Amino acid sequence: MRKHPGVAFMAILAALTLVLAACQSSGPDLGLCRPIGDAKAPETPAPTAAAPGSSDLKIGLVTDVGTLDDRNFNQYSWEGALRGAEIIGAAEPSNIVTTASSDYAANIQSFVDQDYNIIVTVGFALGEATLAAATANPDVHFIGVDQFQAGDDFLAGAGLANYESLIFSEAQAGYLAGIVAASLSKSGEVAAIGGSGTIPPVVNYARGYENGAKSVNPDVKVHIKYISDDLGVAFNDPTTGKSFTDQFRQQNAKVDVIFQVAGKTGNGVLQSVEEGKIYGIGVDVDQWASTPESAECIVTSAEKKLTLAVSDGIAAVGGGSPRAGNVSYSATNDGIGLAPFYQFADLITDDIQSKIDAAFDGMAAGSVDPCKPSGLCYAGTADPGT
Amino acid sequence: MEFLYDLPAIGYVFQFIGWLIGVLPIIAPTIVAAAVPIGFGALCGFMNERSGVINIGIEGMMLTAAFVAWWTASLSAQLVPSTAFGPFGMSLPLLIGLAAAIGAAMLVSLVHAWLSITVRADQIISGTIINIFAVGITGYLNLLISQTAPPSAGQFRGLGLPSALTDLPLVGWLIDAFLDQGPIGLGLIIGIVVMQILLFRSRWGLRTRAVGEHPEAAETVGIDVIAMRYRNVIIGGVFAGLAGAYLTIEFGNSFQGEMTNGRGFIALAALIFGRWTPLGLMGASLLFTASEGIQRAVRFGPPEGPLGDFLSAIPTQFYGALPYLITIIVLAGVVGRSIGPAAVGQPYVREKRERRRTTVPAQPAETGAA
Repeated sequence: MRKHPGVAFMAILAALTLVLAACQSSGPDLGLCRPIGDAKAPETPAPTAAAPGSSDLKIGLVTDVGTLDDRNFNQYSWEGALRGAEIIGAAEPSNIVTTASSDYAANIQSFVDQDYNIIVTVGFALGEATLAAATANPDVHFIGVDQFQAGDDFLAGAGLANYESLIFSEAQAGYLAGIVAASLSKSGEVAAIGGSGTIPPVVNYARGYENGAKSVNPDVKVHIKYISDDLGVAFNDPTTGKSFTDQFRQQNAKVDVIFQVAGKTGNGVLQSVEEGKIYGIGVDVDQWASTPESAECIVTSAEKKLTLAVSDGIAAVGGGSPRAGNVSYSATNDGIGLAPFYQFADLITDDIQSKIDAAFDGMAAGSVDPCKPSGLCYAGTADPGT
Repeated sequence: MEFLYDLPAIGYVFQFIGWLIGVLPIIAPTIVAAAVPIGFGALCGFMNERSGVINIGIEGMMLTAAFVAWWTASLSAQLVPSTAFGPFGMSLPLLIGLAAAIGAAMLVSLVHAWLSITVRADQIISGTIINIFAVGITGYLNLLISQTAPPSAGQFRGLGLPSALTDLPLVGWLIDAFLDQGPIGLGLIIGIVVMQILLFRSRWGLRTRAVGEHPEAAETVGIDVIAMRYRNVIIGGVFAGLAGAYLTIEFGNSFQGEMTNGRGFIALAALIFGRWTPLGLMGASLLFTASEGIQRAVRFGPPEGPLGDFLSAIPTQFYGALPYLITIIVLAGVVGRSIGPAAVGQPYVREKRERRRTTVPAQPAETGAA
């Protein structure tokens, strides 16, 4: 006789499943999230047709791997290029969407070969290729988004008159996010989850966040946790991001605001936030728009104003005074800020908004230091977290 | 009990155990959830290797399935009603995604089966090709479609057990961690138990083991080795498909290029560590993810006193390397030997018997060969 032990077992389990399904209970959550309703991301005003002929500069943009409308670095830099062209009255810019990181140099070169005057390269990863191209083509102006030029490492580009790097004050953006977090937290415990404690922008975001939170409520407990020193896990593994944050929430059930600083791994952090129905804060760009899966829980994002920075750079070239070296964007020139609050707008009371505005003005004037005590932000060693 | 903690030196061990007992019930759901894709991946490897086929392409199969699950689910959410019904937050798009993921992984498995059984290509190379191909094709398609990416179709939800069960003393947390999962997570628990029984208690199991250990002998008693291997490799694809779908429509709800991030290879390690048995590989998967979970638990809430300082001082990389260290130790035979199926990796050539008949007069029958 043939035995079918599996069949009996599965029948029992199926029956059990049905019984249990009848008495379903919903998992515990803090219920802080809200349906997004009919809120919409603000439309970037479509650039009107440029006054033809007022500038004959040709503008090209090379994206990082991805798409042009990624609601992330590529898209906002591209909108900056469009706006810059509009400002100086140049023809509409061209773009090359990079499909593999091995093509960076070739894509830049193809703009050089076609006699483009301004070439925008998007993202830290294109730094090396941009530096090489800028060195070889002194007549072409290069704008590198999020590419830091240091005198003594592989990006030894400082000194080139035709290469400007747009850098952003992550600590200041994090500071603003921290104010929102501490103001919204009901429990007095908030967290920042970063990809890796060895990456300067990540540490600066997190430490600025800590200072911002403490500026509102000195007693607030700020957890800063880094996921991994393995950069693949730290920035490109949403599964680990979610599982890390799930466990963090299980062990720190009081935390009700989480700021993610972990790139694509951070999308997993936001998924966990979404499951726990607590507040999430996005990073770099308006993540309410870029990660719609978690939008119900994203109160705001610590933003880098990429569009502004790129269009400024193009306008400067058009105006005859191109910039060079590291061009810093911070509160001083409205280069950082917070994304809209969307469905949570009514939670941001006048009191909270005035604290945000005061901090912004203070950082612009230099009276508020998001990195105090000095050295709290990235100082060349791995940040252990708190 | 307190006096145990104060014992010199050994007291720390008791403190550690005490801390673990306190923290384990809290973190168990995360540990089990992280073990699901690894367990399914290992189950895929189990189906392959038990019938004599090496499969190092599990990673690629998982990645393909993860992409297909996410993509077909979001795509069909545009076409069919996506209202949830029944338990698990089940909806038509999610079920379509799940079916498509299983289908895609079975298709990739079919290619692997064809290459390694019919063509008799090197099985390591076949698996490597699958891994490289999967990274390329999913990355490329993801780029193409992310221009018009439809919103995610959501994900399967946990069963939601009544608190009367999960609050039970002693076993409540185990019920919560293992049974309060989505359909794929529960599927693994069922799959492990069923496969364990089938392997050692059914005709199919006996034949599979025969084909994996000594295909020539199996053939002589009338088992169709080629068909058996094809069938098992393709069933293995079902498990790889479930592993992938788990990542994008149950545990998470989005796809990211290369998001499997080595889980297919960890699954292979779990298979070896678990000595090619379903229960063993499940235990190994849990051990691997538990070491990660305990490392995080130390960082999120270390025990108090010197023990906490000591645990916190251990670099996190050490915990990360622990599963592999254990696997190496097991492979080296320090903790009992782990020996795989004898015929694994060898393509089966049916003509062998014909050839042997011509050479047999020179040598006596090879009865003792194993």
